Amino acid sequence: MKKSYLQLLPKNMVNRMNDIVKKLEQFGESVYSQIHKKRSPYMKIPQRGLGNVTYDEKSGMLVLGDKFSKRYYMNVSHTRKFMQTLLVASYCRQLVEEEKHAGIRELYYALKHTVAGSRENTFEDQAESNAIAEDIEVTLDLLREQLNLTADRRGYLYGDVLIKDGEDEFNASRLGRGGWAVPGTVEDIQFPEVSAEYVLVVETAAMADRLIEEKFAQNNGALIVACQGQAPRGVRRLIHRLHFEKKLPVIVFTDGDPYGWYIYSTIKQGSMNLAYLSKRLSVPDSVFVGMTMRDIDQYGLHSVTEKLKSTDKSRIKELRSYEWFKHRKWQKELNLCLKKGVRIEQQALANRSLEFVAKEYLPEKIENKVFLP
Amino acid sequence: MNQETRHANDIFKDFRTQSVSEFFRKNAAMLGYTGKIRSLTTLVHEGVTNALDACEDARILPEIKVEITELGTEHYRVSVEDNASGIPLSFIPEVFGRMLAGSKAHRNIQSRGQQGIGISGAVMYSQVTTGKPSTVITSTGDSHIIKCDVQIDVERNIGRIIHKKKRENGENWRGTKLIFDVKEVLYNKSRYGPYNYLRMTSISNPHAHITFIEPDGTRIVFERSIASVPKSPRETKPHPKGITPHDLLLMARYTDKWTLSSFLFNDFVRISKARLKETEKKSGISMKKRPDKLTWKEAEALVNAFKKIKFMAPPVDGLIPIGEENIKKGLESTIQPNFSYAVTRSALTYRGGIPFIVEVGIAYGGNHSTNNGTDIIRYANGAPLIFDQGGCAITEAVNSVDWKRYGVREGDKTPLTVFVNVVSTHIPYTSAGKQAVAKEEEIFSEVRNGIMDGGRILKSFLRGKRRAYEKKKKRDTLRKYVPETAVALSRLLQEKKSSTDTIEKKLLAIITKKYGESNE
Repeated sequence: MKKSYLQLLPKNMVNRMNDIVKKLEQFGESVYSQIHKKRSPYMKIPQRGLGNVTYDEKSGMLVLGDKFSKRYYMNVSHTRKFMQTLLVASYCRQLVEEEKHAGIRELYYALKHTVAGSRENTFEDQAESNAIAEDIEVTLDLLREQLNLTADRRGYLYGDVLIKDGEDEFNASRLGRGGWAVPGTVEDIQFPEVSAEYVLVVETAAMADRLIEEKFAQNNGALIVACQGQAPRGVRRLIHRLHFEKKLPVIVFTDGDPYGWYIYSTIKQGSMNLAYLSKRLSVPDSVFVGMTMRDIDQYGLHSVTEKLKSTDKSRIKELRSYEWFKHRKWQKELNLCLKKGVRIEQQALANRSLEFVAKEYLPEKIENKVFLP
Repeated sequence: MNQETRHANDIFKDFRTQSVSEFFRKNAAMLGYTGKIRSLTTLVHEGVTNALDACEDARILPEIKVEITELGTEHYRVSVEDNASGIPLSFIPEVFGRMLAGSKAHRNIQSRGQQGIGISGAVMYSQVTTGKPSTVITSTGDSHIIKCDVQIDVERNIGRIIHKKKRENGENWRGTKLIFDVKEVLYNKSRYGPYNYLRMTSISNPHAHITFIEPDGTRIVFERSIASVPKSPRETKPHPKGITPHDLLLMARYTDKWTLSSFLFNDFVRISKARLKETEKKSGISMKKRPDKLTWKEAEALVNAFKKIKFMAPPVDGLIPIGEENIKKGLESTIQPNFSYAVTRSALTYRGGIPFIVEVGIAYGGNHSTNNGTDIIRYANGAPLIFDQGGCAITEAVNSVDWKRYGVREGDKTPLTVFVNVVSTHIPYTSAGKQAVAKEEEIFSEVRNGIMDGGRILKSFLRGKRRAYEKKKKRDTLRKYVPETAVALSRLLQEKKSSTDTIEKKLLAIITKKYGESNE
């Protein structure tokens, strides 16, 4: 018999399908009872914006505050979202009861249709339904995965670790150069044996591929995780589990620019958008290996830097103002970047030689712990 | 080739023959016959003015029919028909023929046709461009209808009837129909064309029913919106402050008085014996002089003297405004606006003694004219001013108003029509073309004040309208999402609590309670 996906969820989460359905139903009932009483119905939704996100220094994570906003049907600027919220909630109930999983893009297409008597669609783009799914997650204090919604997946893993995914068991260093593609949901993945000594999160697939070709994982005991840009939830949850369950240190390797550094901060402290999930996704102990401004001087990479655009500069200034970038070393790094007026990509290291990154740059910096906090 | 020199007699033989048409050609701009579109509009204007005046004289509600047909390239036939009293045969040459003999040329009356030569000018223009006579069909409502061709004998400056025909008036028709063929003109529907002229005429003459048939056969009807004939303006003698050398010369030419003193004393108001003496002293011109011998220079000296002399203000009872109700009706029936306002202001004087009345109308929405932004429609004594909009004090006054203060937004898209009529026995035109009012401070600020009064009322209308519009928009938005919301909610609750229908009804009831019914 097929195992219920929910049974594999950690114990501290609501783990019975009925409880999830009950939560959704209670949500609907509160709306209905207001309509029944002829009041303007509203739903209370925790705010997810910057105004309700704070950096908790003690835990080193971004956490959601306790501010709520009320979404009123009778407020014309809320009405559409009000409808969308109910659409997504009722669809989730259906998914959970039918024990089906839907990707968030599938959710979007399943619910997208023309609003009768208008030229408007229930959802005009996926960003709208994504935001509503997150609203429901945080409102009901349920994980998207518990609502049977799977995130778009991206990213892959390569390295000496034994992975058990349902009936399948394999070593992630024996799957060829492509590694193992990280699924959207990693709750039911098990790691019976871990030989790698640390996780190396790499921003670009091209760099990850380079390291795999250079046998970096084998030679250095690394578990290479390519996040391919901003780390998706599946990858973040995987890194989190490897760190907290398998005690693997996490080292992050991105481009030397505000986007790369923000990718790092998301892995380390969590993201503003998913601040309510920081405890389940972030790894406050992770460290940053590169690229840094110092690397430019250290490794003579002046000729392969790129000029900062004005958007880069304003983004850097934004990062500089964030609480979780207030560390002396990061302030220094950001200011140095502005002063130099350049950014440096991971692949700029190829200027020295293709194997340089795997044979010298990373081993040297990791061995000597030349990290940014 | 043999170049023969011509004797003076030979040359001057044609002199008188040419003089009238020459006069016409030279003064074409002043008479409004300039430019292909404008010439056609002027022709229609003369015909329609003639018809309106005829109806007014006969105290008849005007039924006017204007038809323009295209005969060839820049070649049109214009016909104007009215239902007035008709013209007895013997008067036809007088009415249509003689240039400058029109009764208005030297009458100090608040008049529609400012050009002075009126309908005879139209006959002349037709004759000059096509070489053909104009056709007059008329009946006084008796047993006969007269149809004749009229042309101007330029040599003797009189009208001459050719091809006269009489037929039975079986249908008891009464009225006059004029047919002019003209060349070198062009029809279009721009704001300078006959269509806009008639539209504007209809607004200022709500008692007239005007039918217009365009060259392409389109039939446009400007309905009558009031059923009473307006009061006729009374002829008042001019006030010395309001006279120009040109007008003075014209009056002197046609007066029946034999001395300047008699002419000034009798043909003007407020020129007393004492003021005559003062005039003689200040101008240095003998009051015993024969008026018809007056030179331009002397006329100028007289007018300058008038400027320095204090005269009693003229009587204002000769001014007949269109009236607030009539303007409102005119705007409403022609434009069908969402809002209209009109005011007839009290009489004032400018240049120290010339009386005038300003009337202002404001219409919002409706068949706002084709051009963008605020449509300014200007009138002088109820006659549309079509040309020279930019140089007109009315335009300047309208534009000087800060419309934003009155809740008018997005200047370029606002469907606003501003009507301004300046009523006076002497309208201060900027030029001989008589299409723009000069910027006399008193007139300018009076127009401005009238508009600002209207603006305040428009403001409250717009505020209410905006509020109603916003309310409706909100209600529509809220109602739009009801079905989807009801379906989603009942599914979420698996219809345990309530059916989709019930939720829908309850939600709609909440909306109605706050925003009212959907079709209010």
